Amino acid sequence: MDQGPALDPAVLDSLRKLTSPGEPDVLAEVLKLFLDEVPARVERLRNAWADGNIEEVHRSAHSLKGSAGNIGARRLHAVCSKLDEIGKSRDLVAAGPLVRELGVEFDKVETEIRRLLNPVS
Amino acid sequence: MVPLQVLVADDEAVSRTVVGAMLKKAGYPVVFAPDGQQAFQTLDSDDPPAIALLDWEMPGLQGPEVVQKIRTKDTQTPTYVILLTSRDSSADIVQGLRAGADDYVTKPANEDELIARVSVGARVVELQAALAERVRSLEEALANVKALQTLLPMCAYCKSIRNDQNYWEKVETYFTQHSNVSFTHSYCPHCYERFVRPELEALESARAAQERQRRR
Repeated sequence: MDQGPALDPAVLDSLRKLTSPGEPDVLAEVLKLFLDEVPARVERLRNAWADGNIEEVHRSAHSLKGSAGNIGARRLHAVCSKLDEIGKSRDLVAAGPLVRELGVEFDKVETEIRRLLNPVS
Repeated sequence: MVPLQVLVADDEAVSRTVVGAMLKKAGYPVVFAPDGQQAFQTLDSDDPPAIALLDWEMPGLQGPEVVQKIRTKDTQTPTYVILLTSRDSSADIVQGLRAGADDYVTKPANEDELIARVSVGARVVELQAALAERVRSLEEALANVKALQTLLPMCAYCKSIRNDQNYWEKVETYFTQHSNVSFTHSYCPHCYERFVRPELEALESARAAQERQRRR
């Protein structure tokens, strides 16, 4: 897997440009929403996998894929896509390494978002 | 023309916000729904948004189910529905379109493609509204024509018409009141020979007689 930035700069740039005059900055808004919503879903996916609930793994991976795609988190998106596919084939064992990889990628994305939202600290 | 309102229904706040921002930037007023049930309520109201972008997978009612439910309503100006989906198998797409959706866009949405498809929707909605208006005015005209399709009692001699209140009216009066017809008077060649010419000749001979009298 390539080791480029956790978030695709081109996607971030296009989100920045979506801001209409007089409206709050779309990029900041979307990144904050991501931090509000996504950690709980990653947690739910991990628990579902631990409980052997492949259906919930599939559902969570699918919705995480959407959020990751929207902010240009390419590697996280790729892992979610694979988990989405595996979820369809109901292979709990094959999902294991991907659930761990998803955790690693999510941490990188989260760090990058915090850096973008608070550039000084 | 007032820009058409667009509904964005998605349970993921990130997608909802991004798609909403794309539409706002393109000048569309946007309303949001966080799930299928609220999307249905918005679309089922008396003045629903003209265009709806519905996420396929939502808790409660899924996008295709929302479309199916609103399509049972009889309306001359139905909402133009675009499904947002990360499914890209043609079986899924066929299922969505069969449920009554007009189009679909794959997620994550590309801004230019999304706006282009929404403007196609706006074109369809405006065309449909213009057609509905045309049908309405034609129906109104037809109702006027029907008012004249009735059996009129007419006097065989003077051609007066008996109206609904049992009065005999001149043809001109009756038609002026019951249609958009108005009359201008002239005479046909037959009546010219029969009435007008003898009248003119009588006038002419009266004048000649007067002249002879004066000379005498």
